[in-house]
Order: sequence, then C-alpha cells, then structure tokens
Amino acid sequence: MKTLPHELWEPVIGLEIHVQLNTKSKLFSSAANRFGDEPNTNISVVCTGQPGALPILNKEAVRKAVQFGLSIGSKISLVSKFDRKSYFYPDCPRNFQITQFERPIVVGGTVTAFVEGTPKIFHVNRAHLEDDAGMLKHFTTFAGVDFNRAGAPLIEIVSEPCIHSAKEASAYAAAVRAIMLYLDASDGNMEEGSLRMDVNISVRPQGSTELRPRIEIKNMNSFSFLEAAIESETKRQIALYSKEPHRPPEEIIIPGTYRWDPEKKETTLMRRKESADDYRYFPEPDLVPVVLNQNYIDEIRSSLPELPQDRYNRYLEQLELTPYSASLLINDKPLCDYFEETLKIYPNARQLCNWITVEFTGRLKERGQTLLSIGILPAHVAKLLAMIDSQLITGRIAKQVADDMVASPGLDPEIIVKKNPDYLPVTDTSEIEPIVDEVLAANPQSILDYKAGREKAFAFLVGQVMKLTRGKASPAIVNELILKKIKSTNP
Amino acid sequence: MSQFDNQTLENLKRLCRMSCTPEEDQDILHSLSRVLDYVEQLKEIDTTGIASCDYVLQSMLKNLMREDEVKPTLPREEFLHNAPDQIGGMIRVPPVMKAP
Amino acid sequence: MTHTPLHHFSAAQLRDSFVKGEFTAVSIAEYFLKRIEQHNQQLGAFLSILGPRMLLKAEALDRKRAHNKPLGRLAGVPVAIKDNMHIAEEITSCGSKFLNNYRAPFEATAVRLLEEEDALITGKTNLDEFAMGSSNEHSAYFNAHNPWDLSCTPGGSSGGSAAAVAARLSLIATGSDTGGSIRQPAGFCGVVGYKPTYGRVSRYGLVAFGSSLDQIGPFATRVEDIALAMESIGRHCPFDSTSLDFPPESYHLQANLKNIKIGIPRHFLENLKPEAKIHFEDNLQILRSLGASTIDIDLDILKYSIAVYYILATAEASTNLARFDGIRYGMRAKDAKTLDEIYELSRKEGFGREVKKRIMLGTYVLSAGYQDAFYKKAQKVRTLIIEAFDKAFAICDAVAMPVAPSSAFPLKSISDPLEMYLQDIFTIPANLAGLPAISVPSGFDSRQMPLGLQLIGPQMCDVPLVQYAHAFEQATQFTRKIPPLFDGLNS
Repeated sequence: MKTLPHELWEPVIGLEIHVQLNTKSKLFSSAANRFGDEPNTNISVVCTGQPGALPILNKEAVRKAVQFGLSIGSKISLVSKFDRKSYFYPDCPRNFQITQFERPIVVGGTVTAFVEGTPKIFHVNRAHLEDDAGMLKHFTTFAGVDFNRAGAPLIEIVSEPCIHSAKEASAYAAAVRAIMLYLDASDGNMEEGSLRMDVNISVRPQGSTELRPRIEIKNMNSFSFLEAAIESETKRQIALYSKEPHRPPEEIIIPGTYRWDPEKKETTLMRRKESADDYRYFPEPDLVPVVLNQNYIDEIRSSLPELPQDRYNRYLEQLELTPYSASLLINDKPLCDYFEETLKIYPNARQLCNWITVEFTGRLKERGQTLLSIGILPAHVAKLLAMIDSQLITGRIAKQVADDMVASPGLDPEIIVKKNPDYLPVTDTSEIEPIVDEVLAANPQSILDYKAGREKAFAFLVGQVMKLTRGKASPAIVNELILKKIKSTNP
Repeated sequence: MSQFDNQTLENLKRLCRMSCTPEEDQDILHSLSRVLDYVEQLKEIDTTGIASCDYVLQSMLKNLMREDEVKPTLPREEFLHNAPDQIGGMIRVPPVMKAP
Repeated sequence: MTHTPLHHFSAAQLRDSFVKGEFTAVSIAEYFLKRIEQHNQQLGAFLSILGPRMLLKAEALDRKRAHNKPLGRLAGVPVAIKDNMHIAEEITSCGSKFLNNYRAPFEATAVRLLEEEDALITGKTNLDEFAMGSSNEHSAYFNAHNPWDLSCTPGGSSGGSAAAVAARLSLIATGSDTGGSIRQPAGFCGVVGYKPTYGRVSRYGLVAFGSSLDQIGPFATRVEDIALAMESIGRHCPFDSTSLDFPPESYHLQANLKNIKIGIPRHFLENLKPEAKIHFEDNLQILRSLGASTIDIDLDILKYSIAVYYILATAEASTNLARFDGIRYGMRAKDAKTLDEIYELSRKEGFGREVKKRIMLGTYVLSAGYQDAFYKKAQKVRTLIIEAFDKAFAICDAVAMPVAPSSAFPLKSISDPLEMYLQDIFTIPANLAGLPAISVPSGFDSRQMPLGLQLIGPQMCDVPLVQYAHAFEQATQFTRKIPPLFDGLNS
C-alpha cells in the first residue's frame, strides 16, 4: 500500500459521553447528589459499599433517561435491566459498578449538531443508566478517596462511530450537552465533571468503510481538549501507518487506554487492554428489571420542553435568523434564554442576535464572563438597541456604550449616554455640511455609480462621512445632506 | 474438561486481587479442578430455547423505585470509624497512578 | 414462681408469661445470659454475647410493661442473631478475620423488626465464614458443636444459631439460608428451621453471599415460634428491591393435613442410605395418618442442583465479597505499601481458605471465555429446575424430602470439598427456585442423633407450609426433647 498523504486519511470516532443527572439524590441511595461539599458528607451505606447495603433505583433518574431517549427519537426499552461490571479501584465502593450492559433503557436515536454552523445528523447507538465512582484526590505521598460522587446517577450516551473530525466531535458533544440543559436533566458543568467524554478513535483511508484498530482516550472534560486530542491522535496514527505502510493495522495500532496531556499536547498511554479488563458482566441480582408502560412513555413525550432542534427551527422559520447565528445561540442555553428574555422587550431578532452573540459576547469573553455572570440586564440590552434604531446614537457609539456597560454592569445605557454628551450624534448641519462636500468632491465616481442605481455607492459615501466625523455625525442628517447634494449636482 | 492449571490460577488471582500461600495455591488448584470436573455434568442437559433465570421470582417482580428525595444517611464519623486509614475526612491510600 | 425452668418454655409461652407479669424481662435476660456464660465455652455457639445491651433493653421493656404500654409479639423472648446480620453499633464479623473490628453502621431490617416486637437479643452467633460452609468448621474464630454430641458438627453455615436454640441458650435465633444453611443445621440439631419464600424477609443488613439465593429465617424449638418470628420479620422492606411487596401474613396453625397432597420425588431419592430411607418412609406414614396423601413426582433434574448452585452462588459471591478490599473498612494488611498490596495482602490474610476457593471459582465461571459454558448454562438449568417444581406443584401441595443425607457428622470427618458440597443436595433446590422450605425434627437415628424432615412449598405459600410442619410436629413431639448435656437447671 502506497503511503497516503495526510489529507487522504479520515479519523473514525465514536464518543461515549457520561452525563451526571441533576437529581436531588443519587441513583441507588438517598444521599445528596451534590458537588463541592466537604469530603464524605454526602454518603450512605449503599454508596460506600457497606456489607449488607442494597441499591434502590431513583425513579427520577429513570424519567430523565426516558426524556433524553425521546428527545433524540430513540426506542425506549419497555424492559431494561441492570448488570454488575467488576473492576477494582479505590474510588469504586463495591469494586463493581451497577450499569446496564445487556439491555439498556434507550436504544438508537439521532442527534443534530451544528458543525461550524451547518446542521449535521449523528447516530446514537444506545444510552443507559449507571452509577458514578467516587473521587480520588492525588497528593505526593498518598491519595485520598472521597465518596461524595460515588453513586451519582450517570447517563452514558454511546454514539456510532460516525464522527469524522475534531469539529464534528465537539459539535456532537455540545449538542448532547444542549439537550441535557434544555431538558433540565443535567447542569452540564464540565469543570465540575458533570459531563465527561471518552473518545474511541481510529483512522482509515478516505472512502474506505473498514474499521481499523482503535484506541480510547478517556475522561475529557473540555471541548477544546477534545478537539486537540483528536487532532493530535489522528496525526499520530497516520504517522504510524505511513511509517510502515505494509504492516497490518493490528500490529501498528495496539488497543489501549490513553489520556490527553494538555501540557505536553499529546496523548499518553495509560494501559494496554488486557485480561485485567474482563468486566465479567452479569445481571444485578439485587435489582428487579425496569418495566415501563406505553402510558408512562407517552406522558413524558407529551410533556417534553422545547428542545434545541425545535428552537433552532423556530429561529430559522419565525425569527428568520441565519443558520449560523441560530447555531451560536442554541448550544448555549443560558445565553439563549437570555436572548429569549430580551426578545420579549426588543423584537428585532437579527439585530439582537448579532449584539448578543458577537458584540457583547466578544467583549465578555476577554473577561472570562457571560452576560449573565456579569449582571447586565436584558432590559438594558434592549434599551441600547432601541437607541440605535431610533438613531439617538450611531452604531459606532453604541459599541462604546457597550464597552461602558461591560465595565459597569447594571448601569442603564440611557444614563450612560446622558452622562456622555459626546455620545450623542452631532446634529448641527453647519458642522456636517463641509465634510459632506469634502467627501462628495473626493468621490465623483461614487456619485455616478449611485445615479446609475448602485445603492452600495451611497452607503460608501455615508461611511466616508461617518469616518471623517469619527462616527459622531447623525446618520439621518448625513443621509439627508448627501442625498440633497447629489440631487443638486449635474446628472 | 476444563483446563484449570497454574496459569489459570494466576490469572484468577489477578482478577480477584487475591494473594495466596503456595500451600493454598495447591489446595485451591486441586479443589477447583474437582468442582469444575463435577459441574461439567451440566453439559448433559439440553437447554436450547430455555431462557436464563435472571430473576427467581420473575412473575412477581414489580418495579421497585424510590422517590427522588434526600434523606439523612451515613454520618461521616460513622463511616470513618471503620476506616483503616484516613486523612482530612477522606480514606487514605498509597499514591495511585492517575486514572485513565 | 413456676417450677418449669425458663429454658423449657417455648417463645410463645414465655411471651405470655411475661405479659402476665410472671417474670421480669431483666430476670429472663439474666437467666439466659447465665446459661450462655455457662455453656458457650463448650458449645461455641456465640461469637459475641451482648449482655449489657440485653439488660438495658430488658429494663426498658419492664418499664414499658409497668406503664401498661402494648407489648410486642416477642416480648421478653431471648433471640440470637447470626453474625452476618447487622445490629447497629455492634460488631458484625461474619465469622471472618476480615471483619473482626467492623462496627455495623446500620441495622438489619429483620433485627429491627424483632426488637420492635420487644425481643431481647442475646448475642451474635457463630457461622461458617461469610456463610460459606455446611459444618461451621470454616469459622475463622472457633468451631461450633452439636449439643447432642459435642464431637459432631451442628451443621452450617448457621451452626451457632442452631446450637444456641437446641441448647436452649436462646429460644429463637435468626439464620441465613443460601443453600440450606438454616435447614440443615436445624435438622442436625433437632430444632425447627425455616427458609421463607425468596423476598419474604428483607435482606437489608444481611451481608450478602448469594444475592438471588439468600434468605433470612428463624430457628426455634417449636413451629409455633417459627410462626411468631415470621409474623414479625416477614414484611415488605423499602430498602430491599427484591423484597416482596405484599402485606404481612398471619400464621394460623392447624393440626391436621386433611386433603393435603405431599409430593415424593422417589427417583431423585433412590440413592438414600437404607437407614435414611426407612426413617423417611416412617415420616411419610405419619403424614398420611394426619390425613395427607402422597403422590409420586418427577424432580430428577434436581440431581444437577449442586452443580448449578456452586456456579451461581459463587459467581454472585465473588462480586459480593469484592468490597472487602482493605480500603474503606475491615482489615488492611499492615505490610501493604502499594494499592495492589493492600488488595492482595488484605484479602490473603483476611479470608479463610474456603472463602478464597469460592471467590476464585465464582470469578472463573464469570470470566471471558467461560461465562457461556458455566454461568449462563447454570442460569438456564435453574429455569428448568423452577419449571420442574411448577409441574410438581400442579399436582401436590408440598414436596417432602429428608433435609440431609444423614445426621450430623463428626467434626473434621469431611475434608474433601466436593463431599461437603454434596451434603446440601436436598436443601439447595429450594434456594434455586425461591421456594419456602422448612426442616422439622423427625426423630433420631441409630447414633441417637437428630434427623429432620424437609417440606417444600410453592412460592408465596409460606403460611400453608408452616401449617403442615406444625401438624407433623404436633403428632410427633420430637421438639420436646432437649439435649441432655444442656438440660441441667441453672444453679
């Protein structure tokens, strides 16, 4: 086999996303399902694996799993069951996890994700409930085990190996996260570990349908790390194949579990797949099967909230947003809700979307903040945009006002403008007129173009005047003056 | 006839994280071989089409789920009372390689 | 003051006398504690004696009676608890070195229910380590002995409880039965032992051995007392998912067996030794004299029970005992420096040989490459066993069998593990099929050692089954006999 150039390979990626459900109590015990408390203060006899303790299933976790399944159009298993998965680790209180191996509660389904603004459909193989492990905290001479997280309800969502780029992977994961947020099934807080991703990745020549040996990169909790890891691993695998094009793939890529090292910016091997991974799955004898009836499923289906996909369609059809702008809002539910809130006061969706997703977000990102975290009120954003529409201030000035709003969150933009007379546009015609004359004199071609019917030439002339007045001239007056003067010139 | 030999025993010990004395090894090897030979008799039975007995009271099982409520459960001192080694409210273990 | 020594009372009689005011709870407690103190050394029935606790409870009970408060079904009755069930704040050792200092952080439901009925708990009884054994010789502490012949085993794994009740050191004791661990010792010690329908008694607080097989049940000197105990503990428990969600039952006891059909698996029993066969036939005659008819049934498939059991029970046990790892509780090997050493050395030092064998066997039958041939195969044969019983119960009300192939064997006389396992041939089937089964004293053999008759009923037919046993007991009165060594009056 000839060595293929890099671009003619494609990664084949499957994602396993573990999402922590935001139930009040844990999956199999009544201990609190909460992050951040003192170690071992949210525990029970069940989630610390005490002898004689028995699991009891949380009905709300089942409900959220069904909600998720219905949101992605899967089949909900009327009968599903739990299995024991055996492995030894200090954060595992029983040295077996209770999961759903043989008969998961959710089967199949699709997720529509925005890959750089374009919607794409991804296929889900299955989703199931399982309990989370505790946390191991590493110190130099010892490690400490905290079981607060042990027993937290997880839904594990397994995709088909239908993802073929880093961007697709993060788009898919972001879409899954968005669904969870819209369902209020999880807080999706990746820093706190509410959403973790395992990547299964192999590469193959483009156009081929083979599945070559893959490796697993575990426990990614950031989309940027996810993308970086995938890019890096793809390169690594391609390089290995390219080095020895005649060797069979099974000898080049040895299955194993890897970690992404963000400092070294490379995937590092943790351990090879070996017999120690024999999980010995068998049905959990302490739990009865989960038996659901159609009424229950129908009731959940009929009470599903608006989902990301539905909201996206509404934005395109009713609000006439572009697919790209809509996609920016959809995945960020808190921001999207903020948008919805502001839309009630200021109904120009396109304008609002631009200001929220580009102008404000851009400014706030530098400070590591969001519109919500910094405390800028939706009503104030609405006021700012209203001021632009009524031409009280120019677009350019509005950007400065936005800077001020970010610097002093909570301050009403009307007050900001009042306090800065400089922000108000110059309406004195006698100040503007000479500049208009200057611009018209310097751009005779534009005048001709405009008379020939090119609207853009007019906008150009307006722009030039605005430039020379440093954005301070009243756009209405500039428009009026230019029009008047053009009309009065020779045809 | 299951091949239960020393290698099998070593693999098993690894899987279930147990060490044994050499004497125990021999005894276990011998006993398990005997029992495994004995249970081979199950091969005589035709179980084609027979369902696995996953739950002994299949017909009587109903969903047993609980309400999503937080209840006071295990106080930390009670939990740590039985701990072989603890520090800062956590169970202390030797340093562990970061999990994959 | 009556002349009948307290240890000749049945539990029901003692309760009535206490309620009438003939004794104080404290005097009852002192009496039995003194008996235990006198006899436990030679009998080895108790691993721990809870004297101060019992006296405190007795004092409280006396006050309760003095205040004319309603008294429980077991008021004033001394009850022993097998040491694999939790009494909160007391040690649960499971007969193992691993847990010699494990303080139970919660109470077993069955224990709580007994104390709610005002039973007085005497102490924790001896058992084969983690309930794995048929002779109590695998206790990590010391042997228990048969009160009828101290050189013989009391049976196992609930040897201590059986011995305690037979020697009248407590009038009721709890045991756990996974493959016969209540019934066989009851037969060996000449007392009544009952394993309820699977799920009838909560397993919450019972240290699990074979989760789909384990049941807690009572030992007593009378069937009537078994009924009292069952009325107390046979209740639904919200902390056990496998607990039957049915109301508690009242056990009305009749003394005849009119129109009752007893099924005899003749072919399955054909290898009984001659003496045992004759004895069994005599038992059947008694049943007929009470109005029952006998009918031949086919339970040939039961010859595979031991194979099925030792695959399924050990598989479940291998995972149930994985939590004993030296991390969170129990023994941690002092020399262990790494994590692997903690696991391996703690389990090496903490577990006895029989436990190690069963964990390894269980791990093996679940492991990759062997699970189909062993675990899954056994699960299917289990279905066949259940079906065979269903067929049998279509034509009979109960199945009769000896409880064991012989009477109690001398300590150290069986060293071959397989030979020991074969002792359970008659008791294992009821666990595999989740059926209620009782062992009632049926006489004595040529060595003057007790024998037991076992009756097995359909699932959920606990009350009728106990009734049949009561009828047999009333006609035979073998339970009246007390082992001579332990019948001396307290001085």
